[in-house]
Amino acid sequence: MDTLKMQIDGQWLDVTPGMTILDACRTHGIHIPTLCHLDGLSDVGACRLCLVEIDGNHKLQPACTTKVADQLVVHTDTEKLRNYRRITTELFFAERNHVCAVCIANGHCELQQLGYSVGMDHVRYPYLFPECNVDASHEKFVMDHNRCIMCTRCVRACAEVEGAFNWDVMNRGFNVRIISDFNTPWGESTTCTSCGKCMHACPTGAIWPKEYAQGQLKKNPGMIGELMEKRNMKLT
Amino acid sequence: MERKKLATIWLGGCSGCHMSFLDIDERILELASLADIVKSPVVDGKSLPPCDIALVEGSVTSDEHREELFHIRKQARILVSLGDCAITTNITGMRNYFRTADVMRNAYQDAASNDRVGNYPDDPQLLKLNDKVYPLHELVKVDYMIPGCPPHADTIFYVLSALLQDREPDLDRVKKIKYG
Repeated sequence: MDTLKMQIDGQWLDVTPGMTILDACRTHGIHIPTLCHLDGLSDVGACRLCLVEIDGNHKLQPACTTKVADQLVVHTDTEKLRNYRRITTELFFAERNHVCAVCIANGHCELQQLGYSVGMDHVRYPYLFPECNVDASHEKFVMDHNRCIMCTRCVRACAEVEGAFNWDVMNRGFNVRIISDFNTPWGESTTCTSCGKCMHACPTGAIWPKEYAQGQLKKNPGMIGELMEKRNMKLT
Repeated sequence: MERKKLATIWLGGCSGCHMSFLDIDERILELASLADIVKSPVVDGKSLPPCDIALVEGSVTSDEHREELFHIRKQARILVSLGDCAITTNITGMRNYFRTADVMRNAYQDAASNDRVGNYPDDPQLLKLNDKVYPLHELVKVDYMIPGCPPHADTIFYVLSALLQDREPDLDRVKKIKYG
């Protein structure tokens, strides 16, 4: 297979055409923080955590949706990027109500881990404290919009892996919300198969199974990638 | 080294951070060799005198807290936010999503656990809740933050012993940042 040469953080690497900068980094063990990326799902560049600097391009580009190119020179860990990652992380915490102390995902949360990894000891922006619904109408699961970061991993897991298309996105900006069907209670959904893939895909405590209590939540987001890998296996 | 003056103050919190502070156990003797505790909820109730370090637990939920916080800022050379309530408002801030009157009605009248005729506690001795709960750094300059609900005793000890020996604590560097 053809390979291209590109430079990441001063290191020249052989990469495969068509892969993203994020793929290239992960293949070569270079860490870039992500929240909206999940192996097995399409990439949407929503969380802005994987922004990288590319020489000759004055705009920061998301590594998950930017393809590699020959002779591309990319920086993934500069002072500027670290600053932006910290800002982005703080804005996630400021936008909705992330009360770790009483959250089901406490200790098993990708957002919480992200905060630790960017060294966030406090949020410099005023908290917005939006009033958010908690939809507990589903027999097995709860959707808590307080903890949602709009990564849309649930939307994509439902559409691309389960093929049920229960989840979607409504409104924009501050009012943006994940919706079930046409913004009806999840428990009344005519499309949901109760498979739980959205719960496993969710990086925070926004979607959780009812049988768990505070801090007990264990998710397996890796199962989404595994499912897609198995689906693509040629068995004959 | 000159002995320092240390204060710990309890605003809108549950005192869990102070419990965690006491969980440093016998290491409190090391702190006692470096500092005098000039005010603390476990000591007495007089107004805060000038001090080197003030650890402040809890959020600002009322005018009384606000005035106290401004007073602390004037008196303390180093102000440290102790715990998630002081830094994020945490559970105390969960009423910020609603109107205070609705919260009070829900807690004292409509709650399933009471008789629905209860009155709000309104004794003039009690502090009057503000409409909004604030983290400390939204109102005054805060020098150091110790997040956690509660912060681990080791983390509190690390920060305090650093400050008392004029070293710069860095929770990120020692991987002691924790929320919840």
